[in-house]
Amino acid sequence: MTTVAGAGAAIPAGHPRAGWWGTQRNRQLALIACFLLPSLVVFVLYRVLPLGWNVVLSFQAWSPLKPAQWIGLENYVEMWSYDDVFWVALRNTLIFIAASPLAIAAALGIALLVNSDLKGATVYRTIVFLSYPLMAVAVGIIWRWMYDERGGIINYALRASGLVDRPIGFLQDFDWALPSVIFAEIWQVLGFYMIILLTGLQSIPQNLYEAARIDGAPAWARFFRITVPMLRPSLFLCIVVGILNSFSSFDLVYIMTNGGPGHATELLITHIYKSAFVETKFDYAAALTVVQFSLLVVLTIAANRAAGGNAGAVERD
Amino acid sequence: MVTRRTLLKTAAAAAATSVFPTPAIGQASKKITFLTWNIIDQKELIEGWIKRFQAARPGVEVEWLDKKGPDFGPFYQTQLTAGTPPDVINTQGALGLEYAAQGALLDLTPLLAREAAIKSRFDANYLGNWIYEGHNYMLPFYITKTLLFYNKPMFAKAGLTGPPTSFDEILSHAQKMTSGEASTGFMTLNFDWLYWPLFAMNGVQLVTPDLKKTAFNTPKAVEVLDKLAKATQANAINKISWTGRWVEPNGAFGAGNVGMLHAHSPAYFFFKGQGSWVTPETLGVAHMPGFYATPNSHGLGISKGSKNPELAWDFLKFVTDNGQAGELAERRKLVTGNIAVDKASLAKLEKEDPTVYAVLKTQLEHTDKMTGNWRFGNDSRVKEAFWPEVQSALLGRKDAKSALADAERRMSRELARA
Repeated sequence: MTTVAGAGAAIPAGHPRAGWWGTQRNRQLALIACFLLPSLVVFVLYRVLPLGWNVVLSFQAWSPLKPAQWIGLENYVEMWSYDDVFWVALRNTLIFIAASPLAIAAALGIALLVNSDLKGATVYRTIVFLSYPLMAVAVGIIWRWMYDERGGIINYALRASGLVDRPIGFLQDFDWALPSVIFAEIWQVLGFYMIILLTGLQSIPQNLYEAARIDGAPAWARFFRITVPMLRPSLFLCIVVGILNSFSSFDLVYIMTNGGPGHATELLITHIYKSAFVETKFDYAAALTVVQFSLLVVLTIAANRAAGGNAGAVERD
Repeated sequence: MVTRRTLLKTAAAAAATSVFPTPAIGQASKKITFLTWNIIDQKELIEGWIKRFQAARPGVEVEWLDKKGPDFGPFYQTQLTAGTPPDVINTQGALGLEYAAQGALLDLTPLLAREAAIKSRFDANYLGNWIYEGHNYMLPFYITKTLLFYNKPMFAKAGLTGPPTSFDEILSHAQKMTSGEASTGFMTLNFDWLYWPLFAMNGVQLVTPDLKKTAFNTPKAVEVLDKLAKATQANAINKISWTGRWVEPNGAFGAGNVGMLHAHSPAYFFFKGQGSWVTPETLGVAHMPGFYATPNSHGLGISKGSKNPELAWDFLKFVTDNGQAGELAERRKLVTGNIAVDKASLAKLEKEDPTVYAVLKTQLEHTDKMTGNWRFGNDSRVKEAFWPEVQSALLGRKDAKSALADAERRMSRELARA
């Protein structure tokens, strides 16, 4: 945006255009605010206010037909001391988050292949990305049938190849259920990570690699000393998306296992949903949401710090 | 030149005009909303009812909404919170009792007392499913309870002459029909306490009669749970009994390699569609040992927040009267809880479709042995406290004793908070 010389200068007092509105900078700021206002209003109405109400609700006993009653920390005490499912859901959510690096590493490998001179790289890129636009519900249904113990293709392939002699109840087994859901989730987001990392790879100046080759740096050194550091913003974005996915994979878990068997695949988000809409404990669900939100903020700050701050931005000379 | 002042004046004037109420055109009509549970397949039928109801009452409008089971609760709760609950609602199982406990439903007791003829339409045991703290909150829309379906060829092959008459016979029959992965002896549905007859037939009580304390953590219950878990491990009871909901268990029975299925009557139509083996000669129908059965009926109630409760009551009476109930029974092949309609319907089915007749006849027999239908106002929470622990034991994750102890601890807390 260009400014006219002297535009920031104040207009003499007494002039009709004196005061805050007088300077062009302030008028430009006001114009920017006008353009931002609709989005900000929506953001405040649908994000900030509900979040604030949610925090207040977490300290109350409330149901749709009864007035709210202040109960202090009772919901939180219930969560910490009596709710076994909360701890299981928290553990499962953290496991989900911990699986993100695996997906990112796989995506990076695919991105490196697609970024190379490999024949048909464009086609592979498209194929890998195709899973991302699918609705999570569709992904859940597809994988549920693929994992099916009686007629699923995965069990069929495992038995046909002789790797197993009995079908595996992927979604019915306490040990297999969570990894199975995580694998389906990774399958869905892999394409998205790949595209982000591919963009990052393509923005790395090639002269850095040339200089490194000339200096005799082997491939692994070029990868760890140039590629990974330069990919920091992309990696940070993938990690944050991975954390967000772990907290919001409601559709996938609901369709595939509904948190079962037992609570083997229960996540915080599914526990919140059931507390609110199945058990009609809206106030308790609000407390769970506050805890989830706090955890999300802490993890995002930690990820930012680990990425070197400033969302992993890399200073380039 | 358009000044800022002119612009502001114009905007203020435009905003002011939008505040004036639009004058009513014509006479205002009375409107009620009818929310049903996953019955969209009967669109033509219900729209016909609504048309007839409206035609007989000029100025009345009925809006019909249908929601699938998982969507029903969130939809109704949000409408309650918004202060716009549907006037007439159809719920499944114990959900109606939970809404009654929350104060969401109108007490129908005075209305039924005022119109005794309406009350006498219905089977008393089924009508009583929706009595909470001495007050009746719903009328039967259509009724179901569990029964035992069995695969006669598999019975014959295992040398079994008839359905089991005790819990131990269920397990021994199941074991005889199990052959590795190829076939399994017994399967049950597990949602909404449908598995409870397996405990009830062993004399296990879930709670004390006043519903305030747990009563299930007994040596007998441990023994029953342990036997069920061992049978599951041996594949005599298919694991899907404890992990599936509707499609998987019914689909497995329809596949023709499960000896017995404990399910409620609608399951017949599902697995019949899946399994070409299902014929009057090959499918057996029986009561569970002891005649225990868990109901999973659909009720109709009126939201307390209804702005037209008398009209809603009128609609309720209309939908459950002989005409409409008869049509529903005919089209969907079910029993409605309306005594006259069910009698006529069964008489017709006995000649036209003996298998369906045999299935539906069980729904009206031994209704005094219905179990798993406690009048909890917090049924979902009680279920959530009990079932995951029991499921863990059934799937071999926990021993029966620890599972029941944990379930007792969790359920006691919910009962104390009720």
